[in-house]
Amino acid sequence: MTEEWELVSKATEFIAEEMGVALQRSALSPNIRERMDHSCAVVAPSGAIVAQAEHIPVHLGSFKVGVEQLLAALRSTSSEPGRREMILVNDPYITGTHLNDLMVLAPVHWRGSLVGFVTNKAHHVDVGGSVPGSLNPRAGDLFGEGVVVPPTTIVRASRLDAGAFRLLGSNVRDPEVARGDLEAQIAANRMGVARVRDLFDRFGKALVERSWEESRSRVSATVARALGRMRHGRFSAADAVELGPRMLPIRVSLRVSGAGVLADFQGTSEQVAAPLNAVLGVTYSATAFAVRAALAMTFPTNAGFYDRVQVRAPPGSLVNPDRPAPVSGGNVETSQRIADVVLEALAPSVPHPIPAASSGTMMNIMVGGRRASGRRWAYYETIGGGSGGRSSGNGVSGVHTNMTNTLNTPVEVAEKEYPLLFTSYALRPGSGGVGRFRGGDGLVRGFRLLEPATVSVISDRFYRGPPGRDGGASGRPGRVRLRFRNREKQMPSKFTVDLEPGAEIIVETPGGGGFGAPTRRPRRPSSPAG
Amino acid sequence: MLQRGSEVSLVLKRPTSSQEPSQAVLAALEELDDIAGGNLVHATTIGTNALLQGPERLSHGVSLVTTQGFRDVIEIGRQNRPSLYDLEFRRPRPLVARRDRYEVPERVTESGRVLVPLRRNSARRLAVSLRRAGARAVAVSLLHSYANPVHERRIAAELRSRVPFVSVSSEVAPEPREFERTSTVVVNAWLMPLVSQYISHLGGGLPKLGIGSASVMASSGGLVSLEEAATRPVQIIESGPAAGVVAAAETARRAGLSSIISFDMGGTTAKVGTVHDGRVGLTAELEVGGDSHHGRRGKGTGYPVRFPFVDLAEVSSGGGTMIRRDPNGTLTVGPESAGSAPGPICYGRGGTVPTLTDANLVTGVLAPTLLGGEMKLDRAAARRGFARMGDPLDVAEQALRLADLEMARALRMVTVERGLDPRHFTLVAFGGGGPQHAARLATELRMSTVLVPRHPGVFSSIGLLLADWRYEARMAFPKDLPRDLEALRRQLRRRFRAGRFSAAVECRYAGQGSELSVPLRTEDRRRVAREFERLHEVTFGFRLTRGVELVTLRLFGERSRPKPSFGFSPSSAGPTGTRTLRWMGRDLPLETFGRDGLARGARIRGPAAIDEYGSTTLVPPSWTATVLPDGLLRLERSSR
Repeated sequence: MTEEWELVSKATEFIAEEMGVALQRSALSPNIRERMDHSCAVVAPSGAIVAQAEHIPVHLGSFKVGVEQLLAALRSTSSEPGRREMILVNDPYITGTHLNDLMVLAPVHWRGSLVGFVTNKAHHVDVGGSVPGSLNPRAGDLFGEGVVVPPTTIVRASRLDAGAFRLLGSNVRDPEVARGDLEAQIAANRMGVARVRDLFDRFGKALVERSWEESRSRVSATVARALGRMRHGRFSAADAVELGPRMLPIRVSLRVSGAGVLADFQGTSEQVAAPLNAVLGVTYSATAFAVRAALAMTFPTNAGFYDRVQVRAPPGSLVNPDRPAPVSGGNVETSQRIADVVLEALAPSVPHPIPAASSGTMMNIMVGGRRASGRRWAYYETIGGGSGGRSSGNGVSGVHTNMTNTLNTPVEVAEKEYPLLFTSYALRPGSGGVGRFRGGDGLVRGFRLLEPATVSVISDRFYRGPPGRDGGASGRPGRVRLRFRNREKQMPSKFTVDLEPGAEIIVETPGGGGFGAPTRRPRRPSSPAG
Repeated sequence: MLQRGSEVSLVLKRPTSSQEPSQAVLAALEELDDIAGGNLVHATTIGTNALLQGPERLSHGVSLVTTQGFRDVIEIGRQNRPSLYDLEFRRPRPLVARRDRYEVPERVTESGRVLVPLRRNSARRLAVSLRRAGARAVAVSLLHSYANPVHERRIAAELRSRVPFVSVSSEVAPEPREFERTSTVVVNAWLMPLVSQYISHLGGGLPKLGIGSASVMASSGGLVSLEEAATRPVQIIESGPAAGVVAAAETARRAGLSSIISFDMGGTTAKVGTVHDGRVGLTAELEVGGDSHHGRRGKGTGYPVRFPFVDLAEVSSGGGTMIRRDPNGTLTVGPESAGSAPGPICYGRGGTVPTLTDANLVTGVLAPTLLGGEMKLDRAAARRGFARMGDPLDVAEQALRLADLEMARALRMVTVERGLDPRHFTLVAFGGGGPQHAARLATELRMSTVLVPRHPGVFSSIGLLLADWRYEARMAFPKDLPRDLEALRRQLRRRFRAGRFSAAVECRYAGQGSELSVPLRTEDRRRVAREFERLHEVTFGFRLTRGVELVTLRLFGERSRPKPSFGFSPSSAGPTGTRTLRWMGRDLPLETFGRDGLARGARIRGPAAIDEYGSTTLVPPSWTATVLPDGLLRLERSSR
């Protein structure tokens, strides 16, 4: 039996994946069940990621950072979870994303000793704060973004701790939804714990641990081989996120060597008193995403990959803020720009061409209020845009790119759930940048309020569209219009507004950048990017 | 295959023609004697093949009519990409080109209220312009048409006098979620001209042969008439794979078992499905023409179709699945397959990469000759193939275990992920490879019983003769169960002569995004809700204090078909010899038997192998095989 490690590591990957299925299938909110805004992982006692199944890339590296920080926090207070206990946390300075992502960690004990952890993260639609949906464009600090949960024992003796939940439940708009989604997260971990214990029963501790180590070193070797094919040296790039009239620079200097990629964000804007700060976990995730995509190869995600990616981000900066700077939009918007600059910097290093920039915003829309019945509601949506043109053809239209891949909420589901009437959901023709290969087109999504509600938007790329590459033109920037009583108003990229019934919001997302100079475009009929 | 009375004989196997599949069927029927007065039951891959070839390969296009502002929903899909880290990702080409998408001013709300009325003029103008544009097939999908189909019907009425093929979403898939419903009706409209042509040619040729009626296997495992298939061709897309599960279900019923897992391992893939409480496990949606990754269909890789499909998880573990080392030196099984040409190394037809069949041969599971001695296998060549990757026996055994793990995962998808415990099921194994792996797979999942039917190699086609007629109708958000059921019954009776009905309701807690299917045993909403809550707890481990929503009411109308029985003439020839089995790193003596030489009630203790034409059943150590009265083999794990 020389090769049983392969069996064990495959079985471990399957556990992470099946946890994700269990979570999705039992969650209550459309955000998880329809949009799959959640991820799961199996972790070694050291905190090293053994296997993970992420549905959206912003969770990719945030597990590595989140688990390390959570375990350190638990150890420093000697509050490690015991058998049949689980820990809940959403403090972004620990989890590495934002308050909406609730992270639940469960220890796995086998024959009296700790043999690992299972964990998952899921985006809760509302975690309190002053706006429904909690992504608050006006937040000046973390406390304006919702309830902060430090590492807390949420499951005792295998059951949801009612007292701990009451504290959370009293701080969110729809405690019943929060409870449903949290129960789903707990159920997924419970399944994960049972399956990991089963793995130890079947293969024994020595073999499982050796296998986990082996799969880490195999992935590390795979990545090293790919790095060997890249141009080594220093590469830099810069771009910006928008805050009012200000452009906040994000600069990266990469050192690519056979051993790994080191991304240094020296020169990036200082942190701001607006929710655009990206905690270190987000910066790490976006960097890891760009590196992984640029490598253009498939391998299981585990610590062997993370070993090859390092990030240096100046403390107090937009990409590594000091607590309690607000961070909700850093996770969803600044993360996109970090991925953009790292991809841009990697372009001269990788052997194959990197596409032009994609939409570069998740276009977060939060709407909520109070129904006539008194029940509070919160609806969260992100809207896809155009992907950048690439050397192999036109970009794709109306799609989520880079750091997110959540599904939309169907119009028919949203209208049933919330007092909204949608007026359009369509491609935005001509928004993709021209070029030898055009950028994909953005989207138009419009809706009218049927009851009074608060509408918040956190988005970006309203001034500068996604840049083209090699002579391709930029995609058209995004915009949001508000129509009310025959008047129309252009809105900024980040706002919160209280609106009356009848008000209509029309959102247009950016097209992707073009690839190559347009004159070199081959003469053939353009096909709808598919 | 020919059924006379209750007797069945395997008669004829002919290749199909992709140009004119109906001609190939008729030509094959002409070769048979004495079939006048008979009926034809068949499965067809015409739908699957058309989808695999993709939209650009078909001569005709399809046009789409939607609510104003929403024509691009068919292209946007769920706005996700099929792979997270691939910067060169593509989405499947939209089935309708943008210039063929038409919008009409109209609007119905989620409650079914008409907010913007559809003017008769605009419906007529639309139909006229579609005819002028030369449209052959038109799909109509308006927002919330499942709640109120009045506008769709008005448009359809105008279109039907002007366009040959019209398909309306409220008739094909009346349920919420605009993209999936639109995709379903578009796929349906797109298949209509093809399937209609096939069926009219086939139907036209049958009377000359004296064949009275003909039916097609639907993806849900029931038979439907040719006319029904031509109206709703989306329902025959997975016609073939459904038959194996139907055969397993009927075998189980005859053996007195109500819950089984069907395990069909062929040359390129392994498929598993369930029968629970006597019902074949179904799924309400499938992405057709899409990719699957280790048995899981990738969201956004194909075209979603909302129709009942036999719930199958399929993984690339077949006899021809290739075993390699990746650049890291990690042993991998699949997904590439050597198929039957060049095939496994041991077939000696030019295969150079070892496959699972090669692994079963070198580890001693398979006999060195196949098909009752007609085919000699080259064991030495297979061994040399593995020797390039390390110790040949170690590598081969490890590959088999990796394949078992992959198949076990598929099996968990259709059980554990549906809230079912595989330990309460019996595994029914067939296909050439099923019986070789069944007991190992059962061990992996702690299942204790396996059944191997007779003729496992052709078991799936037998399923066609074991199926009943079954038609489906559904309704979104039922308000009054007795009244709504009656409406659906009336609708089904118009389509066919149903003998009995069975219903299920897809329910969820208000606010949830997906549903659980609750078999309907009562017409009382509160009891349905209670049953849902029980099922929710079994499946997910908790209940909520929240209202229960009945999302889709689904009714099946069924009628039984006279089914064949299978004769069994036992003998008792005793063991045929021995070979050496590689098992958990050790060599064990393996006693071998011929399946045709087993007596009723015979008990064979593992390690043993039972060889027959087209397959071999492995009885591993600590398993025992028993020959049941009707010739079924039952394998049981001895409890320690």
